[in-house]
Amino acid sequence: MSKFRGAAAIVGIGQTPYYKRATSPEPEVKLALRAITAAADDAGIDVRDINGFVSYASERSDPAKLMPALGTREVKFASLVWFHGGGLPATLNIATAAIMAGQADVVAVYRSMAESSSQRLRVIVAQNDTSSQYLVNGLDSPAQILALRAQRMMEFHGVPQSALYATVQASYYHAKNNPRAYGRNTEMSAEIYNNARMISEPYRLFDCSRENDAAGCVLVVSAERAKDLKQKPAYILSAPMGTMEGGGALEENWRPYYATAGQTELAERMWRESGYGPKDVDVAQIYMNMNSMGIGAMLDHGFFAMEDAGAFCTFDNLTAPSGKLPINTSGGDLGEGFIHGFGLVPEAVRQVRGTSPNQVPGAKLSLVTGGPGDLMSSTALLGSEETL
Amino acid sequence: MAYSFEQHKIVGAIAADDDYWRGLEDGVFKLPRCDRCKTWTWPAHFRCGHCGSWDFEWVALEPKGKIFTWTRTQYAFDRVLERKEDVPYVTIVAEIPEANGARVMGLLKGDESGLRIGADVRGTIDPPSAKSKFYPSIRWNIER
Ligand SMILES: [Zn+2]
Repeated sequence: MSKFRGAAAIVGIGQTPYYKRATSPEPEVKLALRAITAAADDAGIDVRDINGFVSYASERSDPAKLMPALGTREVKFASLVWFHGGGLPATLNIATAAIMAGQADVVAVYRSMAESSSQRLRVIVAQNDTSSQYLVNGLDSPAQILALRAQRMMEFHGVPQSALYATVQASYYHAKNNPRAYGRNTEMSAEIYNNARMISEPYRLFDCSRENDAAGCVLVVSAERAKDLKQKPAYILSAPMGTMEGGGALEENWRPYYATAGQTELAERMWRESGYGPKDVDVAQIYMNMNSMGIGAMLDHGFFAMEDAGAFCTFDNLTAPSGKLPINTSGGDLGEGFIHGFGLVPEAVRQVRGTSPNQVPGAKLSLVTGGPGDLMSSTALLGSEETL
Repeated sequence: MAYSFEQHKIVGAIAADDDYWRGLEDGVFKLPRCDRCKTWTWPAHFRCGHCGSWDFEWVALEPKGKIFTWTRTQYAFDRVLERKEDVPYVTIVAEIPEANGARVMGLLKGDESGLRIGADVRGTIDPPSAKSKFYPSIRWNIER
């Protein structure tokens, strides 16, 4: 049995409101402070006792900036996960490993983003490592680059537009019940979806995630410590990270899995380590930088085969409370708001606690997947005490 | 000869493909093959992951391929604003059978009819220009 499985748990969550990009009344660092202090309050932990800090990608609110304002007693561990949104669930891996190795006791996992303090998210996420092969040929943003994969998924593998639309419909349906959701008042219908402007074909506007200003944080402690705190713990059963053979910085030369999310081997490792499989999952928060990539993530996790994507991805199957696989129950990256996917983690925790705005009754196993198609990605399975 | 792209180098990525751009500026389409084990290595890199050799031969090829995938950009994105007036434009990823299916990006040249995955394309080389960030570029024409 893996020593990692269930060794640590998420015991606190904190989120600022989602603001329209570039309109946050507060700068990035202040948003980070708000999310971290809210997570500490939620957990019933003195914020000064946080001694580990973990984030990912281009996060700039580093612990050096935060500790004077948090009153941090000592930073004992700090780490940033490579690369982009693929690093999201891997933060839980790093936090758990640090706790297991005795390097930290209370780890804040967080992400903060305010365009007014930095620059356009889609520019900053690129971290200036986009190769000349793309830029010379008119390709800059993730929307365009992932559109190449979506085109292959749809035209070559035959995944229908209806599957993409179902993810949009489910996201906005869930957002309506979530007072935090930036898209809670956005009306959605097939007509609105189809008539929205094209961004980079085959993606229409609503196939793409938003960009928002906001911050979020979750607190990770040992399973032992989690028992004595205020909230019902969400145990981290597995949170593998990695890139499979045939991946890496290969500029559209990934083989053999081009059109999906590059998460097949990650998912297999997660099922092995957790002892569960796709049929056991109650609810899933699927990272959707672009929705076809999220469909790729569900494929890679074994929820359905490529030829069944159209039949599986329907509004009924993807929505709470009783769909086969309710996804993005806070509205997710499309409907709730987007700060590099971070909102998916607190929502996965709420499902285990039983406090989601779109609760799946009795949810015990809660999945959160990382940025699909990223150069390195990760995925995580959270569970209630009875899943240990 | 001073190459245009060398004066406007895009930095930050692996960028082992200088000989690709030199080739295009000289009017030749070249891709790298390991000197020792003959594995095509694309995108270019500094060491052959198969055999450990550090040496590559840049092989001149006929620019003939098949469309692997494509997208039509309908929005002027921040870092490629030079192409603003060309929106919408189509970028093609073409598989080069002669180089073990290496996939090479380039803009569509000419009319769009027959644009589909699997269609045959032939490349022509555009000289450096502001639109291609002062790099030369391969443009894919659909063969009919
Ligand atoms: Zn070799």
